[in-house]
Amino acid sequence: MLEISELSASTGNTEILDGLSLTVNAGEVHAIMGPNGSGKSTLAQVIAGHDDYAVTGGSVTYKGSDLLQLEPEERAREGIFLGFQYPVEIPGVNNAYLLKAAVNAKRKHRGLDEVDAFEFLKLAREKMAILGMDQKFLNRGVNEGFSGGEKKRNEVLQMAMLEPDLAILDETDSGLDIDALKAVAKGVNALRDPERAIVLVTHYQRLLDYVQPDFVHVLSSGRILRSGDKSLALELEEKGYDWVKEAAHA
Amino acid sequence: MTGSSLPDKALARAVQSLPNDSLSATRRSALAQFLERGFPTTRLEDWKYTDLKEVAEISRRWLEGGATSPETSALDGEIQRICSSIDADWIVVANGVISPGVISPAGTSHPGNGITVSTFSESSLTPAFDVPLADFNAALLTDGLHIRITADAANDRPLGLLIIDRTNGLPGVAQTRIRIDFEDGANARLIEYQVSLGEAEHYANAVVELCIGSAADVDYVRVQNRAENHIQTHRTEVRLATRSVFRYSGFDLGGQLVRNDLDIEISAPEAEVSIAGLYVAGDGQHIDNHVRIDHQTGPARSTQEYRGILGGRCRCVWNGKAIVQPGADGTDAEQANHNLLLSDHSEIDAKPELEIYADDVKCSHGTTVGQIDDNALFYLRTRGLDKKDAIRALTRAFGASIVSRLAIVELAESLTAMVEARLAELTESDSQ
Repeated sequence: MLEISELSASTGNTEILDGLSLTVNAGEVHAIMGPNGSGKSTLAQVIAGHDDYAVTGGSVTYKGSDLLQLEPEERAREGIFLGFQYPVEIPGVNNAYLLKAAVNAKRKHRGLDEVDAFEFLKLAREKMAILGMDQKFLNRGVNEGFSGGEKKRNEVLQMAMLEPDLAILDETDSGLDIDALKAVAKGVNALRDPERAIVLVTHYQRLLDYVQPDFVHVLSSGRILRSGDKSLALELEEKGYDWVKEAAHA
Repeated sequence: MTGSSLPDKALARAVQSLPNDSLSATRRSALAQFLERGFPTTRLEDWKYTDLKEVAEISRRWLEGGATSPETSALDGEIQRICSSIDADWIVVANGVISPGVISPAGTSHPGNGITVSTFSESSLTPAFDVPLADFNAALLTDGLHIRITADAANDRPLGLLIIDRTNGLPGVAQTRIRIDFEDGANARLIEYQVSLGEAEHYANAVVELCIGSAADVDYVRVQNRAENHIQTHRTEVRLATRSVFRYSGFDLGGQLVRNDLDIEISAPEAEVSIAGLYVAGDGQHIDNHVRIDHQTGPARSTQEYRGILGGRCRCVWNGKAIVQPGADGTDAEQANHNLLLSDHSEIDAKPELEIYADDVKCSHGTTVGQIDDNALFYLRTRGLDKKDAIRALTRAFGASIVSRLAIVELAESLTAMVEARLAELTESDSQ
C-alpha cells in the first residue's frame, strides 16, 4: 500500500529525513518509535503533504501512484488519514460540520451522493459511544477548549468516521491518562482490518500494550536503524534508545 | 475648511425646490452653514483616512444633472422581496422619501397603539445640524421619519426600516433622517436595512437619532448591502437614560465608500451598551467605522467588538473611542477589534482610543490583525476539504462570533445568507 524509498526531507536548511525506506502493506500495523527529534513527526507530516517540508530525495508510492504529486486534500480523499500530535483548535468551525464535510469530500471523490443527515448523526453517535465521548462535542468548535485527552479522542473519532485505508497516528498516546489511552486503543483496534494499514508513531511502548503491532521500527537521525516484531518495543523499553544507536554504530 | 466646493447656485436651487413647509427655515440655515463649512476634509483627525472627494464629485454631478430623484416605483419588486423575506413590520424610505404606511407580514395586523409613526413636519420636529454632514443632510432633507415606541408596544415582531435607493442613469444623492424615541420602559427590536441598486453612482447620507428612555431595552441591527459603486455616510446618535440597555450590531457588506459614525452618550447611571460589528470588504471597497462612547456618568458598562474580513485591494478603518468624563466612576469600558486579511493588498487602519478622566474605572482595548492560520488550513485539508472550502470555513468562523450573537432571530437566516454570499465572492477571488 505504502512504499517509501530512500526518502529525504528538510525544513528550512535542516535535513530531517535522511534516506528513509519503509514498506507498509494492507492489514499490517506498524509502530515507528524513536527519540525526540528523530524525524517521526516529520515522516507523518510529509506523508500527509505539509508544505513546510521539502522532499529532497527518494520517493513515496501509495496504491501504486506517486503520492508526493498530490495535494493534502487529495491524499485524504484517496484514503490517507493523519492523526495529529497537536490537533489544531479551530473556534467557530463546528465539529459536526467538519466531520460531515470530510465524509462528503471523500464520498464525492468516489462518485457517491452526500451522506444522509440522519444516517450521519447515527453513525457519529455510535462511534462516539465507543470512544466514550459525550455527544455535546459534536456541536462545539473543532477541538476548541478540549483537554488533551478529548483532542486525541476527537482525532480517533474523525478517523473512525472516515474509515481510511492508511491511518497514521502521530503520538496519539502522548499526554493521555490510562482511561483515555484505553479508549483510544479501543478505537484503533476497532479499525484493524485486512484491507487497512495503520502506522503508530510513538515515543513510548505503552500504547503497544493495547494495540499490538506487527512490526516495530526504530527511527534515529532521519532513518530506520532497526526493524523487528513487537518484542523490539519491549527491548527498547528496557534498554533505551541509546542501545539501538550503539548497536547500529558498532 | 474651504467651503462647499459645490456649485453654490445649483445647490441653493435644489434646496429651494423642496416643498415650502415647516422645515424650510431649517433647510436655509443648514445650507448657509454647509456653504461655509463644506464637506469634512482629511485634514480633520476624524476624517484622516476617509476622503470625501468622491462624495463632492457625485453631489456636483447630481446638481448639474438637475438634482432629480428617480421614480421609485421601479423599486416595488425589490421592496416586496425584502419585506416578505424578513418577518418584521417595515417602514420604507426610498431615495430619501418616506413611503406612507407600514408593510406587515401577510395575515397580521399593523403594529398597535404603542408605536406611532409620523414625519418630522407632522411632529413639528426640525433636524439638528451641529456636526459635519448633518448640515448637508438637513439642507436637502425632504422630510424626516419620527417613530415613538411606548412601554405598551408589543415586541413580538421587530420593526424594520428599509432605507432603499436606486439610481436611474444619472448620479443620485439621497438624504435620510430618522428619530426614534423609546419611551421609559419600552422594549423594542429594530432592523435598519440599507440597500441600493443601479448602475449609476449614488451618495446616501443619513442621520439617525435614538433617544432611549429609562429602563428601556433596545436591540438595534444595521445591515448595509449597497451596490458596489455606491457611497454611504451614516451617523447614529444614541442617548441613554438611567438603567437603559442598548445592544447594537452593524454589518457592512457592500458599498464602495462607507463611513459610519456611531456616537453614544451615557448621561445617566446604570446604562448598559453592547456593540458588535462586522465589515467584509473586497476589491475597491473602503469601509470606515467610527465609534465614540461618552461615559458622562457612572456606573455604566460599555463593550464593543468589531471584526473585519478584508480581501483584494481594499481599505478599512476602525476607530473606537471611549471617553470617561470626570466623575463617571464605576465605568467599565471594553473595546476590541480583530481583522483577518485575506490578501497582501488589503489595509486596515485600527485605532482604539481611551480618554479617562475618572479614577474608579475599568477600561481595556485590544486590536489584532492576522491572516488565515496555516496550521488550521492544513488540518482541514488533511480531512479532505478543498483549499478554497477550508479558507471559506475559516473565514466564516472568524466572523461567526459577531453573526451568532445577533439578537433579532427574524433576521438571522437572511443575514447569514448575505454574509455567506459575500464571503464566497471574497474567497473565490483571493484563493488563486
